[in-house]
Amino acid sequence: MLVKCFHCGLHVAPQHNYHTNVLGKRQSFCCPGCCAVADAIVNNGLEDYYHYRSEFAEKASENEDELLQKLKVFDDDSILQEFVESQDDASEIQLTISGINCAACGWLIEKQLAKLNGIMKVGVNVSARRASVTWNNQQLKLSQILSHIDKIGYHAKPFQPEQHEATFRQENKAFLKRLGLAGLMTMQVMMLNVGAFFDLFGHIDPQTKQYFNWISLLLTTPVIVYSASEFYTSAIRGLRAHTFNMDVPIVLALGITYISGVFATAQNTGQTYFESLCMFVFLLLVSRYLEHSARYKAAQASANMLEYMPTTATLIEGDVLTPVLAKSLKVQQLVLVKAGELVPVDGIIIQGQGQLDQAMLTGEFDLISKYTGDQVLAGSLNQLGTLTVRVTASLQHSTLNQISKLQTQAMSTKPRIASLADRFSQYFVVVVLLISCISYVVWQQIDSSQALWVMVAVLIATCPCALGLATPSALSCAIANLNSKGVLLKRGDALEQITLVDWIGLDKTGTLTEGKFTITQCINPSKQPDSDYLEIAASIEQYSSHPIARAFSLYESPFTVTDFQSEMGKGVSGIIEGIFYKLGAASFMDIPVPNSMSACNVFLQSDNGLLCGFLLTDKLRPKGTALINALKPYNVNLISGDIAPIVKSVAAELGINNWLAEQSPKDKLQTIKDAQSNNHVVLMVGDGINDGPVLAQADVSITLGAGSDLAKSSADIVLLDNELVKLQTIFSIAARCKTKIKQNIGWAIGYNLLILPLAVMGLLSPWMAVLGMSLSSLIVVVNSTRLLK
Amino acid sequence: MSSIYVLIPLAILLVSIAIGVFFWAVKSNQFEDLERHGSSILFDDDLPKKPSKPQPDPNKSDE
Repeated sequence: MLVKCFHCGLHVAPQHNYHTNVLGKRQSFCCPGCCAVADAIVNNGLEDYYHYRSEFAEKASENEDELLQKLKVFDDDSILQEFVESQDDASEIQLTISGINCAACGWLIEKQLAKLNGIMKVGVNVSARRASVTWNNQQLKLSQILSHIDKIGYHAKPFQPEQHEATFRQENKAFLKRLGLAGLMTMQVMMLNVGAFFDLFGHIDPQTKQYFNWISLLLTTPVIVYSASEFYTSAIRGLRAHTFNMDVPIVLALGITYISGVFATAQNTGQTYFESLCMFVFLLLVSRYLEHSARYKAAQASANMLEYMPTTATLIEGDVLTPVLAKSLKVQQLVLVKAGELVPVDGIIIQGQGQLDQAMLTGEFDLISKYTGDQVLAGSLNQLGTLTVRVTASLQHSTLNQISKLQTQAMSTKPRIASLADRFSQYFVVVVLLISCISYVVWQQIDSSQALWVMVAVLIATCPCALGLATPSALSCAIANLNSKGVLLKRGDALEQITLVDWIGLDKTGTLTEGKFTITQCINPSKQPDSDYLEIAASIEQYSSHPIARAFSLYESPFTVTDFQSEMGKGVSGIIEGIFYKLGAASFMDIPVPNSMSACNVFLQSDNGLLCGFLLTDKLRPKGTALINALKPYNVNLISGDIAPIVKSVAAELGINNWLAEQSPKDKLQTIKDAQSNNHVVLMVGDGINDGPVLAQADVSITLGAGSDLAKSSADIVLLDNELVKLQTIFSIAARCKTKIKQNIGWAIGYNLLILPLAVMGLLSPWMAVLGMSLSSLIVVVNSTRLLK
Repeated sequence: MSSIYVLIPLAILLVSIAIGVFFWAVKSNQFEDLERHGSSILFDDDLPKKPSKPQPDPNKSDE
């Protein structure tokens, strides 16, 4: 029987044996990380979490120590200044927390933090996946708070909120107030009028009727003045820009109905339609509010992606090493870059040699050896050796920052496609206004007492409310659907554009391939099983930090290695049970490599001669070929910063006809721009820092959850689980969404065309028009919700 | 019928109070997180060991 991890719900491999007591029972866990988190939760007396939760927790990460070390950075004053609001001893910060997936998580985090001395206030917002924490900065440090949250399996980071987020939040609150007021008032006015309307109480004497009118007027006034204020400003804004937006007929209908209602009440003659007025405003606000809160949610989600992790550097001043923030480094200062660390700034190596992984900057995946006097770039990863680097440019002027500037530029010049509904409603509104004017004039001749109400009925019946809902409701349902499939959309209209895409650009390293070495073949001429040699190789490689070594870490390493040595750019060696082994490139071997093994790139040799060869490649992500086949109708291009032979072989393997190699971020950008100037609508898929600018320039851009922050900040769509195959899902949902939008628009226009003659002929009173309009909107919304499935 | 001259203004008064309360609730961020507080009543803190009525535990089916 398969056992599931008690903490995260993943299957527990039979050989693993992690247990702890939770809720009075012995429970199994999949990894030491989950076990430790559960232990921490139980020890803090918070095990009720396991009762309350409705979802499994996220799998806990294992290398905690490294992370805790990194969190120390957050105690730096310059960071605190940026994110923390302080008042005397109390500091307040907003954190984004990953791993929250049900209400019990909020409870758990609040309880856990409340146990810390010096915490003053904690508020966890589960739907936004955020927390605001207030603490006493004399008793407690920020890093302690973050690590305390980490202990129970969540990851908290300060983040850069989206620029417009604060405005979004204000608007959302204002919307809610307007909506609430309109709703409550609509109920009251309806109650007064429905009875009178249908003569439910038998005969109502004129005096009571007049009284009802005054009360209705009193209750409608706040709706018109306060709740509907949004429409006035929007209509005026539109008219100032010399366009007729949807709000113009709305404002006209509201104004005419209200003012004539006031006159009718004051003069005690004629008809009033206050209840229709209130309902009209309420229903309009409902649709606007739904659209707005969908956008607010998207903005929050995308800001959560941009969690802030500052780069640090080790500054050398004489004999003293001090950790500092990378952005504070100045030209001519010396920094120490140890193996496994990120190069913080552009500089020149003045001491030591190392192997650098520049994949994020250039897309080239193999390590590059750098020696004293060579230039190193910010953002590359030092895999081997210790370097002393003299800073040649501050972070602001580094190559890394130039790429990010390129991205900002591209973002601002991105071509905008006006959405279908916007363009259409322009003409629609003008036609509606014309028809209502004409019917007014004509009815003046027929029956002047009815003319005004016919005009209002025309305005309301043809109100493009359903038309306005057609696109946003379909988009938000499609977005919700994609979200549940692990696809995050940062910009809703990207879905509309994706159906127009005819040119696709794909990045290679990290996107089509996994961006790390995998052992794909073991050529072994002897009778020994492959696993014996793999175990030996894995035992030796466990001491190396080279990316090749990581490929071997999947295998068991049962042997103790003595006298381990590593030679840069060649290989590693060590003694196991008295035998001297060498593992590395062909040039590192003592004997020439036979032809049978020429395909391999890593070899194992012992005292007795060459044992076997391994073929290590940057493996393609699964189902890549299926994906490319599915994309056949499009113009697919492989654009990589890697060298030509590798790009060519990947292109051949996947069946991609067009490929470009050795592309710098600028070249890539130019390629995309050229395609766009040839009237192609471009979709770009990439993950590296070097893809940032192209992702920003492309009409629609997709990145992976494992991608760089720069890529995530400029992409429209993020595939959270890194499965490229999801592209197909996105395409099919986008196509369905487009069909739904068309259906919705078709219905909205069809209904309006149908109702228009009735309204013009005076067969429709305003309240019927309002009812029809809301029914029409309801149908549109219900139709859209089918996209959720 | 004369009672409506008293009852309707009274109703309006109550509605104004309701609106006041609603505005206060929006202002004090009561609508910021609708997922969380719906279930917070289930997380009783005053019963440290065994809550009287535990939520259905998703893990029980696995055993």
